Amino acid sequence: MSSHYEAPIREPLILGEKSYHDISVDVGAPILGKANKSWWIVFSIALVAFLWGLGCIVYTVSTGIGVWGLNKTIGWAWDITNFVWWVGIGHAGTLISAVLLLFRQKWRMAINRSAEAMTIFAVVQAGLFPIIHMGRPWLAYWVLPIPNQFGSLWVNFNSPLLWDVFAISTYLSVSLVFWWTGLLPDFAMIRDRTKSPFQQKIYGILSFGWSGRAKDWQRFEEVSLVLAGLATPLVLSVHTIVSFDFATSVVPGWHSTIFPPYFVAGAIFSGFAMVQTLLLVMRKVVSLENYITIVHIEFMNKVILLTGGIVTVAYLTEYFIGWYSGVPYENYTYLSFGAATGPYWWAFWALIICNLIVPLTLWVKKWRRNILWTFIVALVINIGMWFERFDIIVICLSKDRLASSWSMFSPTFVDIGVFVGTIGFFFVLFLLYARTFPVIAQAEVKSILKSSGARYKRIRESGKDLAGTATDKRTSTYAERPASLSVASNAGATHHQSTVNADVLVDTEAKKAEIDMMLARIGTYDPATQTPDDLTKISGVGPVLEQKLHQLGIYTYDQVSKMTKEEYDLLDEIIDAFPGRAERDDWAGQAQKLKN
Amino acid sequence: MASGNVLHVLYNDDDVLMKAVKEIRAKKYRITEAYTPFPVHGLDKAMGLPHTRLAICSFIYGLIGLSVATLMMNFIMIEDWPRNIGGKPSFSYLQNMPAFVPIMFELTVFFAAHLMVITFYLRSKIWPFKKAENPDPRTTDDHFLLEVDAAGHDIDSLSKFLYETGASEISLIHNEEHA
Amino acid sequence: MYKFSSKLRLFAIVCMVLGLIGLVFGFLSVPGTVEEANEILAAQEAHHSGGEAHHEDGAAHHEEGAEHHEEANFVDEVKGEPGYSERAMAGDKDMGHAAHEDGEHMEHVLHQMQTKPWSATFIAAFFFMMIALGTLVFYAIQNAAQAGWSPLLFRVMEGITAYLLPGSVIVLLVVIFAGEHFYPWMNHELVAEDEILQGKSGYLNFPFWLIRGIIYVAGWNLYRYFAVKNSRDLDTAEGLQPYKNIFKYSIYFLAFFIVTESTMAWDWFMSMTPHWYSTLFAWYIFASIIVSAVTVIAIVTVSLKAIGQLEFVNDSHLHDLAKFMFGFSVFWTYLWFGQFMLIWYANIPEEVTYFILRIQEYNPIFFGMLILNFVFPILILMNSDFKRVSWFVVIAGIIILVGHYIDIFLLVMPSTVGPYGSFGITELAALLFFLGLFIFTVGMGLSKVSLRPKNNPFLVESEHFHY
Repeated sequence: MSSHYEAPIREPLILGEKSYHDISVDVGAPILGKANKSWWIVFSIALVAFLWGLGCIVYTVSTGIGVWGLNKTIGWAWDITNFVWWVGIGHAGTLISAVLLLFRQKWRMAINRSAEAMTIFAVVQAGLFPIIHMGRPWLAYWVLPIPNQFGSLWVNFNSPLLWDVFAISTYLSVSLVFWWTGLLPDFAMIRDRTKSPFQQKIYGILSFGWSGRAKDWQRFEEVSLVLAGLATPLVLSVHTIVSFDFATSVVPGWHSTIFPPYFVAGAIFSGFAMVQTLLLVMRKVVSLENYITIVHIEFMNKVILLTGGIVTVAYLTEYFIGWYSGVPYENYTYLSFGAATGPYWWAFWALIICNLIVPLTLWVKKWRRNILWTFIVALVINIGMWFERFDIIVICLSKDRLASSWSMFSPTFVDIGVFVGTIGFFFVLFLLYARTFPVIAQAEVKSILKSSGARYKRIRESGKDLAGTATDKRTSTYAERPASLSVASNAGATHHQSTVNADVLVDTEAKKAEIDMMLARIGTYDPATQTPDDLTKISGVGPVLEQKLHQLGIYTYDQVSKMTKEEYDLLDEIIDAFPGRAERDDWAGQAQKLKN
Repeated sequence: MASGNVLHVLYNDDDVLMKAVKEIRAKKYRITEAYTPFPVHGLDKAMGLPHTRLAICSFIYGLIGLSVATLMMNFIMIEDWPRNIGGKPSFSYLQNMPAFVPIMFELTVFFAAHLMVITFYLRSKIWPFKKAENPDPRTTDDHFLLEVDAAGHDIDSLSKFLYETGASEISLIHNEEHA
Repeated sequence: MYKFSSKLRLFAIVCMVLGLIGLVFGFLSVPGTVEEANEILAAQEAHHSGGEAHHEDGAAHHEEGAEHHEEANFVDEVKGEPGYSERAMAGDKDMGHAAHEDGEHMEHVLHQMQTKPWSATFIAAFFFMMIALGTLVFYAIQNAAQAGWSPLLFRVMEGITAYLLPGSVIVLLVVIFAGEHFYPWMNHELVAEDEILQGKSGYLNFPFWLIRGIIYVAGWNLYRYFAVKNSRDLDTAEGLQPYKNIFKYSIYFLAFFIVTESTMAWDWFMSMTPHWYSTLFAWYIFASIIVSAVTVIAIVTVSLKAIGQLEFVNDSHLHDLAKFMFGFSVFWTYLWFGQFMLIWYANIPEEVTYFILRIQEYNPIFFGMLILNFVFPILILMNSDFKRVSWFVVIAGIIILVGHYIDIFLLVMPSTVGPYGSFGITELAALLFFLGLFIFTVGMGLSKVSLRPKNNPFLVESEHFHY
């Protein structure tokens, strides 16, 4: 069908011989399975870092902001650097889910869920800093325009810091809602796949009872589109407003008008670097290499190149106009000759090298597609973008207009502790997410499977019709049809009325799931690439039995050869007149011989 | 909800489903509902569902948000307690508007986004502790279920026709409350 | 194959001839001496006091309308000294001269009046050139991004960029010959007594400035030449080599453009008021360029489809173009606001002069432009159904184009002629002349090859494009 058409020149986005069902299985696997050792190790480290940070926060709040390295000249430094750094990282998620949705980029489907999760967790970290910096966080509600006991003591709507309150809270809440709405169908999929009643209950609640009606989907798509349309300017506005913090008030009498768009580009730049960092690890740990492919990594690297290029031009502009302005003070700002040669030369050059020079290597296709190098570059950019904010704040402040008050900043262990703590907190949240949430937007990936899946691209390019190719032997087969329809009652909550195919043999959902599990162990049969073997050659298997095996999705010697006691027992249970026969005849051994 | 008997017709391919929907509707059978694991492009049109008006709702909500922001800041900054901030005396909302635009925008988005999503949840009847209503758990995996109204039709010939459209499974559902 | 109709060709030629006559008239009718300039001012004053009390232009008339005074001069109010903003402005216009003797002032006024036809020419010339340039950028972006929806429109875009060569050369000639009329830093006497300008002379000096201008024009046209050549080769090519070439060139061009666009904006626009600077300025101009370009692509597409030339272009393509018009309009507004808000908020004297001049002397169009460029496009193009109705898109497009003409007008006029800018015969003539030239060149460009490209690997995707 033409609606699935995609230019052959485009590389497939879903590798392997995936069917719709495979996507459910693969996305569900990390949730339905058990955590491995490496997950626990990383989680413990993150937890320790988080707890240390928590201790530092408690110390700060109970003692006072004086425990930080701030001084009279440099009145904000690490806290606000970290704030902007985290907010910036938080921009990639919504960019991927909103902007790339508007641009109909199919590659976003595999990464948007995790990127959005990252966004939300990063914005949570960001939000901590201003609140801690208030010194009395329990009075944080004073930033809201609420009638109060002091008469008409309102917040100041002329202050960019107040704009931030509105921007960040709008951004966090809208991102959360956007994320959650997208999660509903995926939670529903987990709810319907899991066998544990506890999980069924939990995911049932989380999925809000999503049923996937056509009308729901219509609304779902409309809502996604409108949310994307709203979130796109929202993303821009949030970092614009963050940039206003500095463009209006970091150093009195100095500002730069390029800050708004340049901060946005920088935020996306750093956000994508963080997405790379996380996803390169995650795809490995939860085996999603077929969904988050090298093509995705290259696309993200291209976004990094683009936004990095914009940031580069902004730096050059900043530096040039600083000189061009002829204003002597400009030589003390963060992008100037003065900064490059002054006491903070190392911070200046860290910025230039990490954000301008190192990303240039991504122009080379080979390096862009090298996973290890991508990972290194992403880390370097993360560091560089932290320095960018550090430079803007600390370098600019360190030499203000009164030479006698010039000063340097050195962080205390509390500054560092709080920062490390937020990194720990971030990873704790992300790791928990990776274990309990569908990390890939499976419904959306399914919707592009036929256009961008490797298997379907091959079928289409060979000139065949895609209709009917989605059939999966594990969930249904076209066996003989029942003579009459079964009649069920819709009064109860049970939903297993259909009685065809595997259902002839199996009557409960649990059994079906067991068959799925069995096929996961012995391998699945794919009609597109494999041919069925003649199973009757196995002694003990007649035509009737072969048909039954087919109904269970067993077609090849290879599958039979992998059978063990567990499978035999299951077959005994499902197929009557079978007790102990397979084991006695050693089907697996026979199949092994026939296979060769 | 369909009255009386309905058929639950399962498909396992979206292209087959789309073709089937068109054929079924061409034969004047009534499809009362469809459950799919992912948004099938064009299915709403093929089923003849009316357009959703959520976008218009969102626009209106946005206007409400814009008004709320304007009224709030006008009251706080201009009427209730005008102040001279940064050499910009707050005697006129218009003249100070550049400083108010960010929050006007944020609240517009805030209202438009949240109220629209709430409307969506209410209209589609989804909220925490709501029980799922998809008749077969496979409709969130890889199956597509059409609910076809069987009232007044011969079940056997209807199901034969439905099989011909490529259905993989069919079951008859007897709605007791209407029996 | 599109045939450039003789009627349209005649129309274009008539436009050019009329425009040329008007331009000659405009250049000839500027005052030659201080006395003539005085007469013109006196005549204007008489005209004003003669009736239109509410029509304010010119610093001298502020006392007339009290309500305007109150509204526009909030700066004075804040400072607590009436006339503060005017003096600040005058300081800017006079390039930092402390003296305000009448004679010197009138000479300055004379200079500004003599500049006006140059400004009128430059505004119109740049306006149409930027459409071609923006189209080229959009085309390059589509290629570099491997967009699937747009290949069917490539020939339309290539046709529009045919104007780039004549357009950019004319713009370059205009800025060269306008010289001191536009760029005070070219005046050696002025630079000699201005320390700030001396500091900038490493960048703002004629030879370097000229070389830069030539590099921009050459670079843009080279890309245009090779991209179009390869695009036509692709029609008959066996393999995909021409496509790969375009892809590569497009990326190089975009990298080249992102830098040269900035320096171009500084060289040709920002240095008109060489004391003033804003880091966002160049990107702000880019937003105007790209939104005008997409608008023209949409209008040309609709027009060609209306005469049955682009049957293969469907609603969805138009929808996407309209979305870009909408999106870039918002983007432009965003950058406009970013620059305005920060300068307004900081109120730094060196910087705020830029907006004070525009708000006080060009108030209706300064804020009116926002309605044309933001409010109308938002309201008209918000609804997705409207984006598919061609006449709606055309109406929105015309509004956007008018708005961005005003935008360019406001970039140039106040900076070059101070408060004496107006839209008169010369401006209209310039607009007509370049419109004629644009239609003529683009018509010729479009009629060269089949409007339907072949062999682009994304062509089938574009044909199937349905949204």
